[in-house]
Amino acid sequence: MPNETPAHVARTRSGEPATFLEAIAEALWEEMERDERVFLMGEDIGAYGGAFKVTRGFLERFGPSRVVDTPISEGGFTGAAAGAAHMGLRPVVEMQFMDFISPAYDVLTNYIATSLYRGAGPMPLVVRGPVGGGNRGGPFHSQNVEMAFFHTPGLKIVYPSNPRDAKGLLKSAIRDENPVIFEEHKGLYRAPHCREVLPAEDYAIPLGRARTALEGDDLTIVAYGLMVHRSLEAAAELARDGIRAEVIDLRTLLPMDDEAIAESLRKTGKLLVVHEDTRTGGIAGEIAIRMNELAFEWLDGPILRVTAIDSPVPFSGELEDYFLPGVRDVVTAARYLVEY
Amino acid sequence: MTPEPAGRAPTRHRAPLGAEVARDLLYLGHQARFLEAGVRNLARSEGLQPGLADFRMDPRSTVLARAMRCTTDGRGDVCHPGPLAPGPALAFGATPLEFLRHLAGKGTSPASAREGGTSWTDLRRGMIGWGGTRGGTATQVLAGAALAFRHRGEDRTALVFERRAALQSGGWHEGMNLAGAVRAPLIVVLAASRTGDPSRHVDIETVAASYGVAWVRLGPEPPEELFQTVAAARRRAVRGEGPTLIELARLRREDRWSPHDEFAARAASSAGFSEHDLDAIRRAAAAGVEHAVARIEKEPGPPPGDALAPVCTDGPPPPPWTRREPPAPDTPAPDDPAERPHAE
Repeated sequence: MPNETPAHVARTRSGEPATFLEAIAEALWEEMERDERVFLMGEDIGAYGGAFKVTRGFLERFGPSRVVDTPISEGGFTGAAAGAAHMGLRPVVEMQFMDFISPAYDVLTNYIATSLYRGAGPMPLVVRGPVGGGNRGGPFHSQNVEMAFFHTPGLKIVYPSNPRDAKGLLKSAIRDENPVIFEEHKGLYRAPHCREVLPAEDYAIPLGRARTALEGDDLTIVAYGLMVHRSLEAAAELARDGIRAEVIDLRTLLPMDDEAIAESLRKTGKLLVVHEDTRTGGIAGEIAIRMNELAFEWLDGPILRVTAIDSPVPFSGELEDYFLPGVRDVVTAARYLVEY
Repeated sequence: MTPEPAGRAPTRHRAPLGAEVARDLLYLGHQARFLEAGVRNLARSEGLQPGLADFRMDPRSTVLARAMRCTTDGRGDVCHPGPLAPGPALAFGATPLEFLRHLAGKGTSPASAREGGTSWTDLRRGMIGWGGTRGGTATQVLAGAALAFRHRGEDRTALVFERRAALQSGGWHEGMNLAGAVRAPLIVVLAASRTGDPSRHVDIETVAASYGVAWVRLGPEPPEELFQTVAAARRRAVRGEGPTLIELARLRREDRWSPHDEFAARAASSAGFSEHDLDAIRRAAAAGVEHAVARIEKEPGPPPGDALAPVCTDGPPPPPWTRREPPAPDTPAPDDPAERPHAE
């Protein structure tokens, strides 16, 4: 096996900025070097290096027993990952696109998520893959899947917004004893504005803790993934009018950092939730009821949401741009809320 | 009768078994038979759900499972007893009392009553089971366990029991395809379905061939042959020759125990047991089941609060505030908004 480390997993070692995708690849590479129980499964992740080339060079370094090219059967190989986890391994399953996780819904919700509660022991595995729209992928290559699983006790859901978090959170997910669904927005994978020099040390970011992406005191905007960037753009526009928005990046959706949201809400009195996922049954509804329970008397206005439209993701660029929540939507909702 | 993929498993012979194995098979057969009667009686006396009044065991399942390397240190073979539970579970070391506790949902059950059905997971014994399995999930999961064995170069094999109806499920085919593709050390037993089965005309030999795995059909063969067929399949698996698919033909209900009875009858000559030995084995099996049946009816269910068990390793979910201890009169509730500092 060649000793040379592929460039896309050595940005940090060479002191270069890493893209979101490279941060993911670095996390996988380093965890596989650190712990021989960690192995990868997925479609075309070996010889081909993955649909997005996240695992390019992994097969040569770690061999076919740790980089397993699977048949095209998401249910089958996710179930197999569960069996391997029972036997003490720590599988990381790649969905080529997270839209394809639906065939694995049965085994994820009925078997994997219930394992610990049923007395069958912890189930340390990660299911990761690309999500999100804006790439003209149409209905089958653009979905956000978090809310299909949010309702299932026993799962954790992570959705980072930047390379530093992506690497640190993925390491935590791999080290976690519980099943974690890890969503990676395709729009961030190679986004130039997202490149950053990552910490040189081996760091992990704890699951379940949000971060304040921008401080402010006029309203709170809660977002995750690509929508953090849309919200920050909106906040910059609002700032030109003297409106100071605080932006909370959830990072982990399940378990959710309720207290971070409530603490910000106690300061601002106004709450706007922004997510790219569709509206009905979206996470905004859950956040609204949690803040109703935790911080009702601090609210100085209705809790609002900016989301995608309740439809499948359309294919045409014109339609998709209309479908997706944009900076203009966030600014409009924020102004309304501030003036309420 | 060829060891090649898509052929029959390599061995079908009736060589006498060693005394230890013969003793185990006799004991397990008796235990399964007594347990079947025990479950039925409990169901009729309302000690178990009435639907179990027709509970039936397939005695072959204990024999097939006993051919695996069953240990209690978490380093042996693994098995999903599935629809043939508890037979394989008994072979993997489960006791009748554990089975009845699990079936009845007692607080003392192996799953602390948070799961029922007929099989449960005990990784130290190598049991991976659950109730409510659908569509070949077990074959997927056990294929993954087998993959882990091969990954680590271990001398271990996975055995999964499914009903033939699994052939109707895409999930089963996904698991089988994966196991065949990676040549996982896996043995899959397909038992006849108990109810109408639209797949009954499917030729399983052809299915096996399509996945490049070995196939064998077993019916009323004597325990020696059942045992050695699985033992041979296991050797193939460990050698890296891939999975074996065992088709278990339906036995007439009244004939189910005949092979076991005949085996017991010839055990004296073939394994050198005396009549006293044989009687002692039978009585020991009966005593274990009688003890379990007598005890299960007296055991209470779990306290309701046991529902708050961890769903993640971080800890159990919080109880609903409406179910907490109410505050004393004239004492504000701890989360009363009126007591919050910013309330107006």
